[in-house]
Amino acid sequence: MTGKIETQAGPLGVPADGETPRFQIGDRVTISVRYPVGHYRVPHYIRGKKAVVEAVIKPRALNNEDEGFGRNAGQKRHYYRVAIPLTDLWPGYAGSATDGLRIEVFENWLERTQ
Amino acid sequence: MHSHDHTPITVPDSAPGYYEVMETAIRELLTEKGLIQPGEIRRQLEVLDSRTPQLGAKVVARAWVDMEFRARLLENGRTACEELGITFYDDTQLIVLENSPKVHNLIVCTLCSCYPRPVLGLPPDWYKQKPYRARAVREPRAVLAEFGTVIPDDVEIRVSDSTAIVRYLVLPLRPEGTEDWTEEELASLVTRDAMIGVINVEARERILQ
Amino acid sequence: MTPSAEFVKKLPNDIGGASADRIDCRDHELQPWEKRCHALADVLDYHKILNTEEKRRGVAELGTELIGKLSYYERWVTVFANILFQKQILTPEELAIRMGNVAARHSREAAELAL
Repeated sequence: MTGKIETQAGPLGVPADGETPRFQIGDRVTISVRYPVGHYRVPHYIRGKKAVVEAVIKPRALNNEDEGFGRNAGQKRHYYRVAIPLTDLWPGYAGSATDGLRIEVFENWLERTQ
Repeated sequence: MHSHDHTPITVPDSAPGYYEVMETAIRELLTEKGLIQPGEIRRQLEVLDSRTPQLGAKVVARAWVDMEFRARLLENGRTACEELGITFYDDTQLIVLENSPKVHNLIVCTLCSCYPRPVLGLPPDWYKQKPYRARAVREPRAVLAEFGTVIPDDVEIRVSDSTAIVRYLVLPLRPEGTEDWTEEELASLVTRDAMIGVINVEARERILQ
Repeated sequence: MTPSAEFVKKLPNDIGGASADRIDCRDHELQPWEKRCHALADVLDYHKILNTEEKRRGVAELGTELIGKLSYYERWVTVFANILFQKQILTPEELAIRMGNVAARHSREAAELAL
C-alpha cells in the first residue's frame, strides 16, 4: 500500500496495517480513477464518483481483485458499503432525486474527498 | 406390444453435448487424481437442491412476527439466518435490506451474478442476463415497471449492486390484513422475486389449514 | 487517444448502465449437467483449486464473442478447463482423450438401451 502508514496505539497494543478501518460511517469518499488490466471489481460507472460511507463491512477480507489471480492470502482490509445518488451517476436521471445506489468498495479504491 | 422389426426404440436422453462431456471428463479426472473426493459433488448437489426461496420466505416471515429477530436480522443478516439453521456454505456476508413505506430496495449484480444463494437457491436466468444487470442501476423504476411494480415518486429506491463478499436479501413490507396469520401462512406469501425486490408481497386469499 | 484501449480498459462483463433490451422473464430448469457444473465450481472453491473470483476473471477473459455465444454454464466449464490447464493440473491432451472416452461411453450405453 502506498501512502503514510498511520499507527494508532489503542489501549492494548498497536494494530497491524489494515486492521483499523481507514474510513468510518458518514465519511465522504471518492472512488479512485484507475484502469486495471485483466480483472477488477469496481465498475466503470462509479469511478471518480463521490460517495458517503454507509457501513464498514466486518470482518476485513482479502482484495478480491488479487483473488482473481489465485492469491488466497495476503493483507486483509475492509470493504465499505457506500451510497451514491443516481442523479450523480446518470445525467438526466428520470426517477426520484432521492434514488440511490449502494455498492461495496474495497479500501484501496477509496480516497477521502477533498 | 413389441414390433419385430428391430427398429431401435427412442432413447429418452439425447446424446450429451460437448460441454456436458467436458464437465464429466473434468470431474472424473480430478477425482482420479485425488483432488476432489468421490461423493463431494453429490453432497454439494444436495446442498444446492436444499436451498430454495422457501428458506428466505421463512426468514422474512419470522422477521414479520418477531421484532427482536427482525432487529438481529437487520444488524447481521448472516448470523440471524444461522439461528434458523441456514448455513452460509459460500462464506459470504448477508445484509438484509428493509423495505418501508418510504424506501424500496432492489438487488442486482452488474458484474456477474452474485446472489444470496445460501438463502434463496440459484438465481433465475433474467437476473444473470444483460438487460436486468445493465438497467437495474440506471433505470430501476422502468425495470420495476416491467415486472408490474410501480413505485411512487415520493418513495426512495435503493439499488444494491453486489461486487464483493456481501450478498443481499430484501425484507419486503408485510401486506395489510395479515395481522392474525400464522408464520407458515405468511411465509407462503413471500416469493423469490419479492426478496430480490422486483415485486412486492401481495396478500392473496388465505388458505386456512 | 488509443481507440483499442477501450477493449482492455473495460471488461466485457462491466455493463452497469449500458443500454439494453427489455427483460425477458423466461427461466429454464437447470439440466443435470448444469447443476453438476455448479456443484463442481463450489467444490473447487472449497479446495481452493479454483476460487470463485478466478472463475469470474476467467469468464471475462473469454471475451465478448464467446460470452455472447456460450450459455452460462458452458462458459463456466470452459473456464474450468482453461484455468486447470494454466495451473498445470490437467493438460489439454488428457482432457481431450477423456472427453472422447466419455462421449464414446455414452454412445455405447445409448445403443445398449436401444436393444
